[in-house]
Amino acid sequence: MNAPQSSNDKVVHVYDDIREEDNQLPNWWLFILFATIVFSFGYWFVFHTTKKLPNPPEVYAADVDALKKARAAANPMSDEALADLAKDPAAVTAGKEVFASTCASCHGQQAQGLVGPNLTDKFWIHSNKPVELAKAVDLGFPDKGMPPWGPVLGPDKVRKVTAYVLSIQNTNVAGKEPQGEPVE
Amino acid sequence: MQAPAPILGSMKPDGSRLMLHPADVKGRWMRARRIVFGALIAFYVLAPFIPVGGRPMIQLDVQHRRFYLFGGTFNAQDFWMVLLFALSLAFGLLLVTAWRGRVWCGWACPQTVFLEGVYRPIERFIDGPREKRLKLAQEPLSAGKLARRVVKYAAFFLVSVLIAHTATALFVSPKELWLMIEEGPRAHLEAFLLTTGFTAILTFNFTWFREQFCVVLCPYGRLQSVLHDKDSITVAYREARGEPRGKLVKNPAPDTPKQGDCIDCKRCVVVCPTGIDIRNGLQMECLACDQCVDACDEVMDRIGKPRGLIGFASQNELAGQGRKVLRPRVMVYAALMVLSMVALTVSLAVRTPFEANVFRPRGANPFIVDGATVRNPFEVHLFNKNPEAARFHLSVTAPVPAQVVVGTPEVELQSLTDARVPVSVSIDAQHLGKPVDLVLEVRDDTSGEVRQKTIRFLAPLGLGR
Repeated sequence: MNAPQSSNDKVVHVYDDIREEDNQLPNWWLFILFATIVFSFGYWFVFHTTKKLPNPPEVYAADVDALKKARAAANPMSDEALADLAKDPAAVTAGKEVFASTCASCHGQQAQGLVGPNLTDKFWIHSNKPVELAKAVDLGFPDKGMPPWGPVLGPDKVRKVTAYVLSIQNTNVAGKEPQGEPVE
Repeated sequence: MQAPAPILGSMKPDGSRLMLHPADVKGRWMRARRIVFGALIAFYVLAPFIPVGGRPMIQLDVQHRRFYLFGGTFNAQDFWMVLLFALSLAFGLLLVTAWRGRVWCGWACPQTVFLEGVYRPIERFIDGPREKRLKLAQEPLSAGKLARRVVKYAAFFLVSVLIAHTATALFVSPKELWLMIEEGPRAHLEAFLLTTGFTAILTFNFTWFREQFCVVLCPYGRLQSVLHDKDSITVAYREARGEPRGKLVKNPAPDTPKQGDCIDCKRCVVVCPTGIDIRNGLQMECLACDQCVDACDEVMDRIGKPRGLIGFASQNELAGQGRKVLRPRVMVYAALMVLSMVALTVSLAVRTPFEANVFRPRGANPFIVDGATVRNPFEVHLFNKNPEAARFHLSVTAPVPAQVVVGTPEVELQSLTDARVPVSVSIDAQHLGKPVDLVLEVRDDTSGEVRQKTIRFLAPLGLGR
């Protein structure tokens, strides 16, 4: 076999019949090498010396912060915000649908109570404050049989179903016997 | 001794680029390759447009982790099958290379398909054959040359735009792509930048970089040297027949030394897209494009010698031994390829239209003792893998009297979406003397499939005795 001979005689070394030569590299290849060296100084200067641009971890932290704020803004969790939502017919209707498909199997179609307590009387095992109520839907009371619905419903539906429950408070549908403490 | 070959056929001794202008080739292999190029380009361009089962034949919706392939619907949980697919391809490539050399490079690699199937013909159309292109390259810039260059680069850019948009359509579907174009780059900055970036890379690659990719960058090009052995059939110059080469002499004098069939016309060199001389033997730069085979056959026809001075032969064949196709290497690669393909086929065949898994929810005790009752909370995770929406019915049955609460006994799920359904089961302690197994039944109305899962009911030791 006649292996192609190189035009270059600069053989660095031969080992196991394999010759290492010192051949000319293509110029575009060398250009990339030198360009990356030049770039590294610019990168160093901008990101580490003057810190003109944020580093990836900082960008990530800022993005997470912005996302958290946007989510909080889209789903305000305060007593006032939830009480306002309970006066919004569209939200209450949406909440009622969620209730019928999700909560009614334990609390009854009229929220009169089945396995779970009656939600229309003035007796409450846990607090009936809007934020506490939303938290009960979100995190549940797994030890007492109420599952955490937050991961299933998502924050928007949790708020709407809370608004629905707030809207039917003290309608006193006849149902399960009172449980918990009376709240005036 | 022949003159030493250059270090790289596409580089001048000072390291600057030697732009290659391969001459036109006519012949059976070139014709066959054009057909293959056309079929591959047609497949690439049409794949996002041809609907199969109401979806594009190929749509890789990475953003939503939905993958529609030839009528099948896949999600991120099916990603493991990519391993089997990749292994089938990889072993297939190893097999083909060990058997017939770099046919992938010469016939099917996108770099070759687009360069030889689209860009080079455009260049040939605008700038003319090799001699004209060489002359044009050396000419000083004139109005005529500038006009040709502008037209050529504009055409290259336009083709690159089309190829890049087709690539984007594979990911977002042509309909969505059209909407994105209508709404403008501002509304879809990411997709716009990706497509524009790809256009720029394509234009640079096919205008200037070309064979440098194959010769210097491509890892497969380097890998092939360990995939070949001396029985691999590659493009080869039959040295024994060709040498000593020399100009064709019409009526040689009786005392002239015997001449080989090679007339040293250098047709094989000028048609080579990587600028090598195949007569120097098997070389790393050879892409198995077979253009020198066609070129030499044409010359042999003309001088009345048999074809095949440059043809297909293994190193051992050139050395006078026979052709040997079935070697351990080839058989092992073939076996591994078949094994991967069988594994892929089986895993595609046993794919289920939905997934149902039972978990004990986070944050809850595995069991709750409430007076004389024991309660177990569960969570059923449903995932609809049907291509359409589906309605699922969940029920839990127990072998002993039990109070079962299924959070949502009916769940409607869109395609490739999931839901978590809480389930709570309470059993009176008196029934818990022996272990109790609950049965969860999930029925998919759409596919009619029913799945049953057994769940062990947990209770404290010694209860109910």
